[in-house]
Amino acid sequence: MDFSYKEKNLIASLGITLLVFGWYFYQVFSNQMLTLEHEFTFNDILRPIILIVVLEIIIQSFLAGKNKNKEDERDALIESASYKNGYWVLSIGVWFLLIQLLYIGSGGWYDILKNASPSFISHLLLLFFVLAEVTNFITQLYYHRKGV
Amino acid sequence: MSQQNLADKVGVTRQTIFAIEKNKYSPSLEVAFKISNEFKVPLEEIFIYD
Repeated sequence: MDFSYKEKNLIASLGITLLVFGWYFYQVFSNQMLTLEHEFTFNDILRPIILIVVLEIIIQSFLAGKNKNKEDERDALIESASYKNGYWVLSIGVWFLLIQLLYIGSGGWYDILKNASPSFISHLLLLFFVLAEVTNFITQLYYHRKGV
Repeated sequence: MSQQNLADKVGVTRQTIFAIEKNKYSPSLEVAFKISNEFKVPLEEIFIYD
């Protein structure tokens, strides 16, 4: 299969994001570290972000050296169309958290996060950011193949 | 002329030329005029509005 520079770029970004944040969220949620006793620092969240930036720089510089006519108007159009889908995912996540935070502790059936620590809620927000980014990458790849 | 040659002359990627050929992408006026200039034929002989 013949991939353009932009598609290779997207596949690399998607793979890196899924690997790094998949590993990170697996560790965070499976170990049940998000209790009130366990203190999460900003460095814990910063670590995977720095890892992604470093990996992206390495892979993008490798890809950029081998390709001419890197990006064109079609890539820009696909990018802007895909950002809308990512925005919807992020909006749904933020609204969900907003409503949960308003009703936290009320004891109703809708109070899903009643026992959640602030760390858990902030990681949930981070998860929605990552899901929005993944949606953006997948939509771009889809538009590149199926047309926009 | 190969897709890559045309893409290089017009300043887009080969995949964009392929998408235009397959009717999966409508190019900007600038790219459309560049393509018609390359083939030295009027715009309406290459692109049809339907």
